[in-house]
Amino acid sequence: MSVIAPKFKFSEFVKSILDNLFWFLLIFALIGVPLVQIILFYVEMPVINGELLTPFLALTWLADPSRTLPILKAFMTTDLFRIAAFPGFGFAALLAAGTIFVERKMLAKLQLRVGPFYCGKIEGILQLMGDGLKLLSKEIIIPAKADKPIFWAAPVIFVGAAAAFVALIPVAPGWVVADVDVGLLAVFAVIGFFPIITILSAWSANSKFPFIGGIRALHQMVSFEIPLILSLLGVVILTGTLNLSEIAASQSAFPWIVFLPVGAIVFFITILAELERIPFDLPEAESEIVAGWLTEFSGMMYGLVQLGTYLKLYAFAALFVVLFLGGWNGPMIWPPFPEEIITKGIEAGPITVQIPGLPLFSQETLNGIVWFVIKTVGVIFFILLPRGVFPRIRIDMLLSLGWYKLIGMAFINIFIALGLLYAGVLGPGGML
Amino acid sequence: MLMFGFAVAAMAPALIISRMISPRKKSNPVKFLPMECGQVPSGEGRTHFMMQYYAYILMFVVFDVMAIFLYAWGSTILELPKSATLPIIGFLGIMFAAMAFALYQSGRRNIW
Repeated sequence: MSVIAPKFKFSEFVKSILDNLFWFLLIFALIGVPLVQIILFYVEMPVINGELLTPFLALTWLADPSRTLPILKAFMTTDLFRIAAFPGFGFAALLAAGTIFVERKMLAKLQLRVGPFYCGKIEGILQLMGDGLKLLSKEIIIPAKADKPIFWAAPVIFVGAAAAFVALIPVAPGWVVADVDVGLLAVFAVIGFFPIITILSAWSANSKFPFIGGIRALHQMVSFEIPLILSLLGVVILTGTLNLSEIAASQSAFPWIVFLPVGAIVFFITILAELERIPFDLPEAESEIVAGWLTEFSGMMYGLVQLGTYLKLYAFAALFVVLFLGGWNGPMIWPPFPEEIITKGIEAGPITVQIPGLPLFSQETLNGIVWFVIKTVGVIFFILLPRGVFPRIRIDMLLSLGWYKLIGMAFINIFIALGLLYAGVLGPGGML
Repeated sequence: MLMFGFAVAAMAPALIISRMISPRKKSNPVKFLPMECGQVPSGEGRTHFMMQYYAYILMFVVFDVMAIFLYAWGSTILELPKSATLPIIGFLGIMFAAMAFALYQSGRRNIW
């Protein structure tokens, strides 16, 4: 057992904390406050309760509850909220964190182990935070002769590309970060970045295991990209649009998996391959090539790559939901917001409180979010499940699966879609 | 892409914080060597490597573009007349035949 600090003195400890606090306050007062003022000068402020929101009024929201919710509501319409919190990064990272924990516990149950157990007393629920802190406090080791700028940038770009993928997913009607008309093509463009990032980081590490893993990842992602692209063509033929929000909205009566099950199966298998999940985890086959292209990453760099992987997992599962399972569509299960609170206010004994601007989200939005999350969690469960069941397959089996069987099935899927369209079953003027 | 920028801006501090609070132990000769299961690595890290399945990557370059062309047709099919589908069926036939030939050639291991 090593000693944390050999010459530990409590007075010195307090002094160092006060020292840091002093410098922080001084720098914040001299640089931070003017910087905030300068930034606020350029930000367009919303109109709240009939008066323009000045920085001073914005700071009074704690004291004046009539302003709190309108300010929150105005903030929720900004781009920053969409990117950082709800349909974007925060939401996806939350689901990704849940995925990691559920995966570890579920795999343990499948393999008759206990999994994370001690951290956080109840079934190891704080294991993820512990892992995060551990990764954050580890030293980052970069191998000698590595290409340093690329090696440093690779994990960050990986997370960035995964986040760009998340940005294209519509979660509820109108709740999407980037609502582009060529949504599906943008998805293919973002997916095309992952093999490039992988092979760059593998090449820059100047080590043999990452190099072999990177080449395997390149083969795998490249050969499964064509079945992925072809299997989604059926949905595009039937809806006649590339916009993901419109595709999700077009499935209000029935999801496309009813008519295009072949495409859905092909897309699901290609998801597994693109995510390097277990039947296709050749790029990081830990029993053959240590950790594949992740071998030389250490500390927080490895943590970032893991975060990016699980963001990607969420994004692919959400894409499956949007394209085949009907996105946010589902029967209304969310209870309506009580009318009395809007008209009369909340009555608690003698006091009646009027809260303006109360329903923060509309009923449809909340219902859509609930259905979207339920379906996405279901798809994520089915993506995780093969990890406890299947062995790893060989690379020639992988290539023959991708190039012969899946592409053939994707072509069959295109003809099923064309047949449904021209037989008059679906599409404009069709039977359904 | 704003989201890409946000993610980069949010994740770079994680690396910097990690760099700030992580310990920097003294170096020893094998610390910064590439991982090779405990052995001292021999030879170059970036070597010539026999890529046995190289032909499939060449095929990707061709067929990826062809698959994306199909989307230009698929997204406008509801506005096109029905007679416009026949040339596309022909295109699909050519693509399928070309893919079969390329797969046959890729499968012949002895010429690669």
